[in-house]
Amino acid sequence: MATLTIENLTKVFPPPRKGAEPVTALGGLSFELSGHTFVSLVGPSGCGKSTLLNILSGVETPTSGRLSVTEDGRPAKLGYVFQDARLLPWRTVMDNMLYVQDSRDDKARDHARRYLAMVGLENNEASYPGQLSGGMQQRAGIARAFSVEPDLLLMDEPFSHLDAITARSLREHLQHLWQESGKTVLFVTHDIMEAVQLSDRIIVLRHGGHIHADIPIDLPHPRRASDPEVAAVQAEILGRFETMERRLEETAAA
Amino acid sequence: MSAGTAPTPTDALAPRSPLGRIAAATRSDRGAYAASALTALVFWQVIGMRFERIPTPAEVAEFFWSQASSGVLWAAFANTLDGFFVGLGIALVVGIALGLALGLSNMVRTFLNDIVVVGLAVPGVIWALLAILWFGFSFKTPVAAVALTATPFIAVQVAQGVRGTSRDLMRMSTAFGVPWHRRIRHLVLPSVMDYVFAGFRFAVIMGWNAVLLAEWFGGRAGVGFQTRTWYDANNFTGFVSWVLFFIVFIVLLDRLVLERVARRTFRWRAQATATPRGGA
Repeated sequence: MATLTIENLTKVFPPPRKGAEPVTALGGLSFELSGHTFVSLVGPSGCGKSTLLNILSGVETPTSGRLSVTEDGRPAKLGYVFQDARLLPWRTVMDNMLYVQDSRDDKARDHARRYLAMVGLENNEASYPGQLSGGMQQRAGIARAFSVEPDLLLMDEPFSHLDAITARSLREHLQHLWQESGKTVLFVTHDIMEAVQLSDRIIVLRHGGHIHADIPIDLPHPRRASDPEVAAVQAEILGRFETMERRLEETAAA
Repeated sequence: MSAGTAPTPTDALAPRSPLGRIAAATRSDRGAYAASALTALVFWQVIGMRFERIPTPAEVAEFFWSQASSGVLWAAFANTLDGFFVGLGIALVVGIALGLALGLSNMVRTFLNDIVVVGLAVPGVIWALLAILWFGFSFKTPVAAVALTATPFIAVQVAQGVRGTSRDLMRMSTAFGVPWHRRIRHLVLPSVMDYVFAGFRFAVIMGWNAVLLAEWFGGRAGVGFQTRTWYDANNFTGFVSWVLFFIVFIVLLDRLVLERVARRTFRWRAQATATPRGGA
């Protein structure tokens, strides 16, 4: 299980056009998480959630600040689930699983098969992504991310492109996988309901990449969206959001 | 009265009957190809009979047969193919490597872009003449002419394909720490295969022209050399026969080999869309 430490992290993008101001996606973000935990980053569009995940995965470099992701003192291994599945269309599901593995031997195949079975795709390993529905592709993406045995799993709005029924089914799959694997998960979402159902902790970001609130969710897993306790916490957090929005509007008006 | 036993006019033209098959064939693509070839042959025969300086299809066929039965045709063809395929192989390897470098690195693109554009702009005949000046009457001449003519076409196409490779898939590979050699093999190369094929088909045609020009101007054997020999002898039947052979070979190579290889390479697309989607 990984330890993620972020200290005063900033990311400033160059001006989008001549004469415009540079865009600050993260303006000194600091937090820490470790162990078998599921943490959600919630906030409005453009508040730096995806930028943070891109920095963590090495796709973007930070402008300043300190960042470390370790596992027992060594650099931690990362897995990533994207908004869309991002599978190679010319490779079968199994070959997509092996693409991100260190080896392609029988052991790696068995390993991949185990995770495909966990997401219900045991009969689709020879299928091409184009033969699968959006939900099945996303399940393959989730299995791929778990199959690299990541110390820290990054998930960037993985269910946002799916219909409500499919997303609901995948949330349940994800909870079981997370509980069985004991991984550390950092999950980005717009959906407060989803964050409450899945997370041990919700970090609310506001524009400029600052933490607005850090909320622990002390409910047992697995949770269902229809559980009364989950619904109560969702209502409480939505109330906090409304207060936050009101204050922001008042500040803007002043 | 019994009904439904007597054949109707529609039954008589059903696809399974001989008449029906002929009727269907005339309406098919193959029928159109056959009709087109037949029309061209008839047209050729008519103008061949009308003009003394144009040989008829029968004369060309007879000449062809004599060249084939004496072994001249096969010896010349083998000689040309040797240089052509070696040159094309070099063009393919260098063109793909150069295209990958041009597509993946801004520095390489800035450094080599103008050189590649110059390579594209130089006509095959100039490369053929330069190859003769550099290598004389040797095997290296057609090889160099083909390689120099074909490489820029493959490189430019591959570079364009690399630049069009999905950024999302590249980012996914970065996020999972996929090593570069695996990314190039499993992500970049399959992404650019369309472009490789487009460039390769064009390179084959340009390379075939170049090898024949090299043999025409500086060869001692081969299809180009034979074409030149009959041209110098003012023998129209011989000249037209060899030119025709040159054209027919490139058309057959494209239709029978390259199109099939392309279909085989991209068969995943057919498979990927063969099964209806469904389920979560």
